[in-house]
Amino acid sequence: MPTFESHGRAYDVDEDGFLQDPSIWNEEVAKDFMVTEGVNELTEGHWKVINYLRNYYLQFGIAPMIRKLCKETGFKLNEIYQMFPSGPAKGACKLAGLPKPTGCV
Amino acid sequence: MKRKISLDDMSKLEREPLTHLEPGDLMPLPAPLEDRASSPGWKPLSAQTMEKCECALDDTCAVSIPQPQNEQEEQELVRKFLSGLDKLFRREDNWTFLQPLLLTMEHCAKCQTCGDACHIFEASGRNELYRPTFRTEIVRRLYFKYVKHGGLLSAWQHGDVKLNWPLVARLIELSYRCNICRRCAQVCPIGADNGLVAHELRKLFSQEMGIAAKELHENGSMLQLRVGSSTGMNAAAVKDNIDFIDEDTSERAGFEVKTPWDVEGADILLIHNAGEIVAWPENPGAFALILNAAGISWTLSSELAGYDSINYGVWYDDAQFARVAIKHMEAARKLKVKKIVLGECGHAHKALSVIADRLLTGDLNIPRESSMTLLRDIVMNGRIKFDPARNDFPVTLHDPCNLVRLMGVVEPQREVVRLLCPKFREMEPHGVDNYCCGGGSGFAIMSGNNFSDWRFQVSGRKKLEQILNAFSDCLDPSIPKYLCAPCSNCKGQFRDMLAYYDLWEKNKILYGGLVELIVNAMVDVKPGFIQWEWR
Repeated sequence: MPTFESHGRAYDVDEDGFLQDPSIWNEEVAKDFMVTEGVNELTEGHWKVINYLRNYYLQFGIAPMIRKLCKETGFKLNEIYQMFPSGPAKGACKLAGLPKPTGCV
Repeated sequence: MKRKISLDDMSKLEREPLTHLEPGDLMPLPAPLEDRASSPGWKPLSAQTMEKCECALDDTCAVSIPQPQNEQEEQELVRKFLSGLDKLFRREDNWTFLQPLLLTMEHCAKCQTCGDACHIFEASGRNELYRPTFRTEIVRRLYFKYVKHGGLLSAWQHGDVKLNWPLVARLIELSYRCNICRRCAQVCPIGADNGLVAHELRKLFSQEMGIAAKELHENGSMLQLRVGSSTGMNAAAVKDNIDFIDEDTSERAGFEVKTPWDVEGADILLIHNAGEIVAWPENPGAFALILNAAGISWTLSSELAGYDSINYGVWYDDAQFARVAIKHMEAARKLKVKKIVLGECGHAHKALSVIADRLLTGDLNIPRESSMTLLRDIVMNGRIKFDPARNDFPVTLHDPCNLVRLMGVVEPQREVVRLLCPKFREMEPHGVDNYCCGGGSGFAIMSGNNFSDWRFQVSGRKKLEQILNAFSDCLDPSIPKYLCAPCSNCKGQFRDMLAYYDLWEKNKILYGGLVELIVNAMVDVKPGFIQWEWR
């Protein structure tokens, strides 16, 4: 199992660099992982997206539909791409500590 | 000039990959990607992956098999491999695929017609490693030596092979360098099927050694059998999502669209690839809108796997395949529907309509129909009014291999786009001669390590050439273009590949399904159902 190290902390991750155990997530995780997804700073907008993803995941056990994420956070998809250059499913979910989306998505 | 890879190299003990793909080796692409120097860079494998996983084949790693700790472990793995190989050739263990497999082993004339048909071989710049017969030739030699127990004469006649763990490890990876599109089988004058060999190998590795791509097994069929869908959606989550989609579709259409759930005695049980619900909600939304407008009696099912048509077993494991196929049929039997209609998903079509047909008995063998024929009938019967001028943009049609080459569903979707899309143009070649999107056999959902680089630069390359050629007269970004792909797996590959080469931002090539084009042309629907936004 690969590990990812940042700021003296080591995380078990999968082959795509997603956190293996979503339950250990805290805000430090988002800060440590942001460099891997081309995010330079975490603004209020970033946190709005991350917190929405996190709460949805805790309720349903999966990531929300992207359209739902846009509607609920009020961000357009291109605004989400500006915040998370590798996109909502990869970048934003990784920072929120969600597992990599599965199935044909 | 590079040294040509030989079959013996597969058994080499050194962990160095057998080949490196340089951008200059790959098949050239047409405009706007003709400049190889500006091609996106290939991410190298990480030191961690190189150290811990078996990746001595080429520049990528699909399965991430952990390296065995000692010689004993290696021997045990080789023993399991041999036992599995034996089973592939026994009627009681492999009655489903034995006949075509034997034919491929015994009768290949080595004419290499298949090589010219393979998009991966061509796109790689004819790299020997990806030649369709390269993989097969290894298996053939193993077959003559270990299954038929041929002696020296046989080794002289058929060629010898050195069986060790490095060979098996490389074969595992190599079985995931084929899209199983079976274009090679289609052109073979004898009927040998190199795609089937890749499939049989994956099956051996999964069923006998417990080795399979994580995306297909652990996060795919296992997850589906546990919670109901490979996306991880349980019944509550899928209903919540469909509620959202109904709301969204109603807003876009200008009238109410409601999806029926668990209607007993409905004529049709529609099963989507659940990926549509999560990633392309406009697709299930458009389906609901069309079926309601046509006055059809239909329903979705909230039974386990009844709302997710995927059956990844078709790509790697017969037992998982059968487990999932039975779940699909049980959902239909419980609702007492007249037939199942499969949404826009290629492999689900072939899995449930064709392959499962050999397994289903009695009241489990409920009729299955493609959504392509149903949609054609709805569009052609005149009940819904269309205005093709609403689809006044260039459209091309991708043929999902499972649906088209391997099932012969060629014309229904074409009749629809010819009627509704005035600027429709074919790719060349098309229909049963199409090329795979490059995401076939599960690759579209596999992106571990740097596998997506291989997927977009090698396996998707031929399709990319076809798409760019189809739109060569209108590449200007002021003209929005629609690549219609009635298959979730293909759409996933196109989304990621178009983004990789920046073809939406720079050339406005969007992709989507067939039902969206139908709804976009419906007179009763608010204009602009298709939104020209990246998704």
